[in-house]
Amino acid sequence: MFRTLFVANKASSCSASTPLKAFRCLARAGYSVKANREEAKELESPEELAQKSKLKAKPIDYSNNAPVNPKKKRPFLSGSKYESRVYQLPKWKEALGEIVIRSFNLDMDKVRAGPVAGSYYYALCKEQGLQFENEPLSTTARFFYEDLKLPRTFSQWFQITILHEWILFVRMRAMPFKYGRNYQQKLVDRTFSDIELRLFDEMNVNSGRIADQYLKDFNSQLRGAVFAYDEGLFTDDSTLAAAIWRNLFGGRKNVDMVHLEATVRYVRAQIYVLSKMSDREFAMGKFKFVSPDETVYRLTAQQEAEMKENVKRKYEEMDRNPDLLPSERSKLSYDN
Amino acid sequence: MSSAVRGAAVQLVKTIEKLPAERMKHMVSLKESQLERFKPVAGLEAGAHGSKQKPTLQEIKDIISRTSGPLGLQKEALKKVQEAFPQEQYTAEAIQEQTKSLNNILSNKYRDYYAVGDKLLKPQGNPAYYQRLMDEIEGKKKETFWTAMRTVVLGK
Repeated sequence: MFRTLFVANKASSCSASTPLKAFRCLARAGYSVKANREEAKELESPEELAQKSKLKAKPIDYSNNAPVNPKKKRPFLSGSKYESRVYQLPKWKEALGEIVIRSFNLDMDKVRAGPVAGSYYYALCKEQGLQFENEPLSTTARFFYEDLKLPRTFSQWFQITILHEWILFVRMRAMPFKYGRNYQQKLVDRTFSDIELRLFDEMNVNSGRIADQYLKDFNSQLRGAVFAYDEGLFTDDSTLAAAIWRNLFGGRKNVDMVHLEATVRYVRAQIYVLSKMSDREFAMGKFKFVSPDETVYRLTAQQEAEMKENVKRKYEEMDRNPDLLPSERSKLSYDN
Repeated sequence: MSSAVRGAAVQLVKTIEKLPAERMKHMVSLKESQLERFKPVAGLEAGAHGSKQKPTLQEIKDIISRTSGPLGLQKEALKKVQEAFPQEQYTAEAIQEQTKSLNNILSNKYRDYYAVGDKLLKPQGNPAYYQRLMDEIEGKKKETFWTAMRTVVLGK
């Protein structure tokens, strides 16, 4: 029963996303509007910034480059058909799900944490630094491994993933406590269950004891990193830079300050975009990380007002619609 | 080493010295490690800035109690990374670039440009989150057993 429910919600949130495309374009307009370029001419994208460095520093242990080379590759999220992008839920299952949600009056904001934070947002974080031997890297992965010259290892992938997860945590904290906490929990749960499976399947770890040790280690890295990044976010850029250096760059001595600056810029820009999103949009999974080769420009007051107006109009209309499916309902605010 | 490189490195060392001291003692420090790296290039005496000072027993205990495997690395690996002194070829231009980037970081360019405001810094779900964290780090207001239990039960 529960599974049907989860699925119903997932399928409906997918179908809902088509008319929302227009909105996403608007949200994206926030960092591609030409008018704002004047005020920040010297800003370049984090990637351009990192590439212009003339310091030819290499990671010390370059021989320690160990791209993940799995014997058997795991499916990106899971083998379950319900998590595949092409699967369409049969209509009767969808209807049954809606009936269950309506009759038990389920809190969809709470239920949605699984498919949105546990599946969609985890997938976002995971793919940022994903790398396999003999496979081309994604744009973001190229930024991290080639421009910032980070070693291509599994634990480096983990560091990149938790940096992105922390960025999402910052926004989740600003949701109502009950929901934000649940989103964080789902994201972390999914991270560790996925890492465990990856250790066995892709990193050829055979012993459960050793896998447990790794997991404990990753757990303490996550706690330390979240703590250090939080301190950096709240205080200043030099603290954030030091936190990034200790965690993402592994505290290596021959770090390039230009790279550090580019990363600080990358992180601050993502958080800025998140700060402009309402709870409702974020909780519905409308966020995507800005690619490092794009530059985020500040919104003018007018653009921001216009964007908020559009969001408000869209969700007001949605809430007023009597035919809105029970699974698409949400009580989260859309005007903050 | 040419005088241009040395001059640039002196500037860089001065900039690195402006980095604020860390609020907590960590296994490695950005400021110390970079001073150690660039002071020889600038022709200055390395290690004069307390980088050779031994951590106190209290600090060691503190670090150990916070993490089992610092940075998730094996202790030997961490030592190896720290000890390896790569022979780097610096140019004056590259070092000036480093100084410029560091100045951008020090002037909080990005924090101010991408200001997020109270929406994220006093998050609705947990408004005191960051303030409590900072109070704890700076030792202004330590968590007691009861406040800790409250966090465990209520989650905030």
